[in-house]
Amino acid sequence: MERPLSPFMFPAWYRFQITSALSILHRLTGIALSVGSILLAWWLIAVAAGGQIFAATHAFIASPIGVVLLFLWSVAFFYHLCNGVRHLAWDAGYGFELRQAFLGSYAVLAAPGVLTVFAWLPVWLI
Amino acid sequence: MANTPSLSDGTALRDENVLRRVRQFGSARDGSREWQLQRKSALALIPLGLYFVASMLWLASSDQLTAAQWLSSPLPALLTILFVIALFAHAVVGLRSVLLDYVHTRSLLIAAALLVRAAAILLAGASVLAVLKLFLAR
Repeated sequence: MERPLSPFMFPAWYRFQITSALSILHRLTGIALSVGSILLAWWLIAVAAGGQIFAATHAFIASPIGVVLLFLWSVAFFYHLCNGVRHLAWDAGYGFELRQAFLGSYAVLAAPGVLTVFAWLPVWLI
Repeated sequence: MANTPSLSDGTALRDENVLRRVRQFGSARDGSREWQLQRKSALALIPLGLYFVASMLWLASSDQLTAAQWLSSPLPALLTILFVIALFAHAVVGLRSVLLDYVHTRSLLIAAALLVRAAAILLAGASVLAVLKLFLAR
């Protein structure tokens, strides 16, 4: 009485394809964002708690590690967002042709880069 | 699956035992609900996520007073609560589908999925409480 399980096909059985690589990236960024949501919840709690707890949280976020984490999470967020929109388009029945699949692939590689730069520009400039 | 005993004697509607056996084969009618939850929460997270991340980048370096003032105003408080609920619902479905693919021991799978769900409920509940505290104290 076992459910059919999907094996890990990518490195051993599949030739590298941008589409499958991006699909795995969608999962990886999803996991990373789930981990990041712990810090997000913690930050909300720290703002409500104030005092020492907020000071410690703020010190962590403002530290080099904190800033790098925030930057990586923002990249992961924008990628997961763009590729998520592509997933919704697939669910609606669009974008399955090979040409469209590749075009979409390059789009979800480029768009998060642009969005990340736009999001961080004000932070860097100030 | 061909050699498993036939289930044709009863239906899942009449006999709980049958439902339990059917569940092992896949979705006992709640699979599409989870699929829909993932898509609907994804749709909600497009505007809510963009709004929250933009606000976060603006607030990341701010002091506690600024952050508390922002979180206690009605619109940011409401959107933050909605964002947190949609986020954790989306994360639970997503993480569970990853677990289903890679955790092949059934007991471990059930334990891990429960843990993810419990953590998400705890974090979402605590986040909502934190925002409510700031909002109600204003």
